[in-house]
Amino acid sequence: MSETEASPETASAPVTAAAPETQASPGTAASPPESTRTGPGRLLVAVYGLFALSACARAGTQIATEFSRAPAAYVLSALAGVVYIVATVTLVNGSRTARRIAFVSCSVELVGVLAVGTWSVLDPASFPDATVWSTYGVGYGFVPLVLPVFGLLWLRRWARRRPVAADAPDLGRQ
Amino acid sequence: MNGAVPTTIIVVGLGLAAYALLTTARNRRVGLGLLVVLGVLEILLLVLVGLIVARLAGGGRPTGMVMLVGYLIAMPLVPVVAGFWGAMERSRWGPAVYAVAGLAAAILMVRLHEIWAVIHV
Repeated sequence: MSETEASPETASAPVTAAAPETQASPGTAASPPESTRTGPGRLLVAVYGLFALSACARAGTQIATEFSRAPAAYVLSALAGVVYIVATVTLVNGSRTARRIAFVSCSVELVGVLAVGTWSVLDPASFPDATVWSTYGVGYGFVPLVLPVFGLLWLRRWARRRPVAADAPDLGRQ
Repeated sequence: MNGAVPTTIIVVGLGLAAYALLTTARNRRVGLGLLVVLGVLEILLLVLVGLIVARLAGGGRPTGMVMLVGYLIAMPLVPVVAGFWGAMERSRWGPAVYAVAGLAAAILMVRLHEIWAVIHV
């Protein structure tokens, strides 16, 4: 993601040929990402969408079938699922308001994975069943820990790129 | 149920992920090769759904029935959604989406085995 960091000013001029990531290899786009859902954002949205699905499915079945067994863990699973849905939707939308909401949800997610991770390590008895965020997301390859960091970095890049830009919800829509 | 189909899905999924990440590293967008591998993965997942449904119809019942039904619905959707989402991208990040789909398919097989042990890997 770092090699695209070098061209923040090309946002308003997507056809700029000088952008460093536009190496002249066949089949490669000649423009930098146009919205929060294109470029690296395409991958972020995919991973967020996958986690939204799996966290919600997991929480849904746990709450529906065995809620009394570990209510705290299941409620936290559901919260994680909601946060992932919000992040997915707002990153796809990409308007200024959506980016703000995405920033909040990625922050909640980072705090959540750190807090729940620490809690589950210190007091494993509260977590007879794993949540997405247990032990910092170890059951999911620590992706839950890394994901909000990349989300926040991606959003920060957009905040820098257009400090006073108006909402542009239609930019890059296909 | 023998483990040939889930095992093949893991191999194809990991192969797709490697191929896709290589494509991303080479700064190429989604091409025909990736689409073909993704299509093969989709067919394999549909075959597995058919095998599991047949097993259910034959009277088999897992402990986590609700979860299993969720998997049967979600599993074949992964390559389809990833296919469209990645193909819309005109940069190296399209193949990266395909890599996620390949890894997800492989991980789903392991989870399926945990839900219902008769599904061997």
